[in-house]
Amino acid sequence: MSSEKETVEKKTEDSKPSSAQAPEKPIPTKKPTPTKTSPKEEVELPAFEKGIADKIIENFGEKTTLTFVKPDRVGIKVTREAIHEVAEFARDVLNYDHVDSVAGVDYPADKEIEVVYHLSSYTDPTLDRQILELATRAQREDDPIPGNDATKLPSLRDIFYSVEFHEREVFEMLGVYFEGHPDNRRLLLPEDWADLPPLRKDFRNKGR
Amino acid sequence: MSVIAPNFKLSEFIKSILDVGFWGLLIFVLIGFPAAFIVLFYIEMPVINGELLTPFLALTWLADPSRTLPIIKAFMTTDLFRIAAFPGFGFAALIAAGTIFVERKMLAKLQLRVGPFYCGKIEGILQLMGDGLKLISKEIIIPAKADKPIFWAAPVLFVATAAAFVSLIPVTPGWVVADVDVGLLAVFAVIGFFPIITILSAWAANSKFPFIGGIRALFQMVSFEIPLILSFLGVVIVTGTLNLSEIAASQSSFPWIIFFPIGAIVFFITMLAELERIPFDLPEAESEIVAGWLTELSGMMYGLVQLGTYLKLYAFAGLFVVVFLGGWNGPMIWPPFPEEIITKGIELGPVTAQIPGLPVFSQEMLNGAVWFVLKTVGVIFFILLPRGVFPRIRIDLLLDLGWKKLIGLAFVNIFIALGLLYAGILGPGGIF
Amino acid sequence: MSTPTLPPGLAIQKADERIMTLNVGPQHPGSGHMRIVVQIDGDYIVACDPDPGYVHRGEEKMAEYRNYVLNIPHLERPVIHDSCNILYPYVLGVEELLGLEITERAKYVRVIAAELNRCVYTMYWLAIYGIFLGHSTMFMWPAGDRELLIDLLEKMTGARVTHSYFIPGGIRNDLPANFEDVCLRQVNYFEKRIKEYADVFYDNPILISRTEKTGVLSREDAIRLGTTGSVLRASGVDYDVRKKEPYDVYDELDFQTNVMKSGDSYARSRIPWLDMMESCRIIRDALQKMPKSGSVRVKLKPNPKGGIDSVYKRIESGRGALGCYIVSDKKPEPYRVKLSVPSFRNLIALPHLLIGEKLGNMPSIYWSLNYWPVEADR
Repeated sequence: MSSEKETVEKKTEDSKPSSAQAPEKPIPTKKPTPTKTSPKEEVELPAFEKGIADKIIENFGEKTTLTFVKPDRVGIKVTREAIHEVAEFARDVLNYDHVDSVAGVDYPADKEIEVVYHLSSYTDPTLDRQILELATRAQREDDPIPGNDATKLPSLRDIFYSVEFHEREVFEMLGVYFEGHPDNRRLLLPEDWADLPPLRKDFRNKGR
Repeated sequence: MSVIAPNFKLSEFIKSILDVGFWGLLIFVLIGFPAAFIVLFYIEMPVINGELLTPFLALTWLADPSRTLPIIKAFMTTDLFRIAAFPGFGFAALIAAGTIFVERKMLAKLQLRVGPFYCGKIEGILQLMGDGLKLISKEIIIPAKADKPIFWAAPVLFVATAAAFVSLIPVTPGWVVADVDVGLLAVFAVIGFFPIITILSAWAANSKFPFIGGIRALFQMVSFEIPLILSFLGVVIVTGTLNLSEIAASQSSFPWIIFFPIGAIVFFITMLAELERIPFDLPEAESEIVAGWLTELSGMMYGLVQLGTYLKLYAFAGLFVVVFLGGWNGPMIWPPFPEEIITKGIELGPVTAQIPGLPVFSQEMLNGAVWFVLKTVGVIFFILLPRGVFPRIRIDLLLDLGWKKLIGLAFVNIFIALGLLYAGILGPGGIF
Repeated sequence: MSTPTLPPGLAIQKADERIMTLNVGPQHPGSGHMRIVVQIDGDYIVACDPDPGYVHRGEEKMAEYRNYVLNIPHLERPVIHDSCNILYPYVLGVEELLGLEITERAKYVRVIAAELNRCVYTMYWLAIYGIFLGHSTMFMWPAGDRELLIDLLEKMTGARVTHSYFIPGGIRNDLPANFEDVCLRQVNYFEKRIKEYADVFYDNPILISRTEKTGVLSREDAIRLGTTGSVLRASGVDYDVRKKEPYDVYDELDFQTNVMKSGDSYARSRIPWLDMMESCRIIRDALQKMPKSGSVRVKLKPNPKGGIDSVYKRIESGRGALGCYIVSDKKPEPYRVKLSVPSFRNLIALPHLLIGEKLGNMPSIYWSLNYWPVEADR
């Protein structure tokens, strides 16, 4: 339980070195491409990502934690209450306009289920390469009743319409109920599925 | 002792053969002979060469080929022969079978594959027989809540209606099952049955997809029947008759398609729609409504509908030939019958048999049949061709085409006919 | 007596005599392995509820039990026709987690395999699009012509469809001898062949009248719904991951993305066909620029382990951007693998587009979304 938090903190500590390492990292990949703009990008890109992260951290302060800054990827951990407004901020101010993927990850040691939103943008050319990773955590129940227990998160469907099916999938696969989602039904699983949500770690595949 | 039949006993086997022989003979003598004589009592036997044909006479003639011919000729003048064999069902079914084979092979060549290949050794020529056997041997499944009598009757009615349509098509002069004076009207009356049968079958199946398919078929057929009727009117106006044989005979010098190409095009398109061929196969659009009104039909019920469809295809192609392409008219290509056979007889080695009454068919009749078949096959080819080229059309585009464009074109065709008539070019008292 | 509480996923609906509910699929010639519950009023669709999951196999759960290398053969199962591309983000992600740097030749071979696979997938998709519109020739031609490229891929990988070719650290085996010439010849012939499709299919007046101005997805909606790939580019958004975030050697190759403005079924069906021509260009270019010899894989430790880290990689597959999110926790097995598949992302546009359309447009709109039911189910 605590180990997981430590790792997160460690990551946040690592964020500065990683951002410092970032200019080195693209060098081997960029080596065979002597494009003229590449030295400029090497300097600017990590700064750009750092700028995105800083904007969010400045605006929301305590509610958000920086997880990592890698080339083209920014990871922010947001509290359950703030995810809605952070997402709104990302859409309105930072120009992220859709969600690539919504992934649920079960952390039984922390008694939490993490939901990771990967935000991306079609309209802003500067954000073409960028993925903003918003992670938030919901309380995990040992004996879940999907939809009727404390495993709940605010839905982002009113901000990003594209999460509609993704959130339905997370709901059935991990039992995270999204409050405010208009259509919280099963999607992939059969209607008569009565077992645990299958992507939880305590659901074991048969024979494994 | 055999492995296949472990309880086999030779004595039992011989006894069973003797039993069958005994009972067969007894039943034949007690029932077959009296029945044959009762039938002969009521049926008027033909008089051939001044002799009344009795069963005894007929049996003696079987031994002598020269005396068999009159029987065949007498049989060929009966309605039974016309309905079952030549201009009727048998001939049409043969052409339909050929059509299916040609369709499969041609479509396969168009799509860079081989088509039926193994069944029947030569290019899969027996594939149709195999399919037929498969359909016959399949179980017929009736939906639980279907209206069973109507559901059963629909495929049979479909084939019957198609056969009725076939019976109206004249093949060569004098060779038509039903030579009625209101031939074209009868054609329209028969065509009018198809949507009714379709919707009855679809409704009786009590299933959603057949229902939608049936409604679509109804829409399609009703909206295309009107341009179909109108497209003929030009020909009817200038010939002044509805009799199909007379219409065909009126084209001895040129076919009507020369003067009425628009009517022919309209008729061809409506024909595709009535036949539910590919650009217009909405009632059977499989990606939308499974198989349309055929969804719940299984086994030979489906086979009957397919048979009816291809009979209908032949009949429509024949109608097109009769009305627009001159029917049986064409230059004489059939070689004349050798005189020596009639006068001297057939020489087979040392034996010479003189058979009176040859030839069975006249030269004109055979020539007409050849021309009719050639033209019909050509038309069928053009009916089949769109299947490889066009995707399916949508219902609103189809209705738009039927109600607006084709009816307009059909009226243009009628005005052309009237213009030609009043200008004195065609029709009674015209130049041609 | 209270009403029984239904488990999620079940709902009791009131019957309306005017509305007919059609269960299109999962065993229906016009749906693939998927159910679309369509409610129609006359010929118009008034409600649509896509219900994927008929072939859900739990690939993501299975991936948590196998190590990074053993995951390769089963993670490609969702789209066996595009199996190189669906493995691509996973392999890229694992390479980043394990800190592997692959050789130049391997990168080029990967690009060639991925582009061949994109064409193979698109041909299969096109074949089904043809038969959905009742055009049987367009079913047979692509199904036959894709054999050309399948033969090539078989030469490269040894398998016809399930290649398992990309592995962390490069590719599984090097190209066979004389592959470049064979590949060039077949790709040139293939390009000549697909140009003929325009004559029989794309310029067909009936096809145009049937698909133009149907199922129009506006630019704003395409962005808002988060669609991707050909659906997005048909609506006028020029976004291709190969251009915008080039992976491997795509930034060195000469190609362009195809964009159409209209956003209707016709544009959506035409874009993949245009993309195939670009794929041919890419393959020719890559064959020319590829290092002619060299190692194609780096040594991989048995049971490799990643640190406590997560990685999100995306590539452009035959259907659109395909993302893979991998969480590792110092074990040989990944802690979590999430495939963000384009089919699943495009599915959201289906109810949006179908409502208000005619039933006859359903197959063309549905399949023009470049949707692969098995991939969406995973």
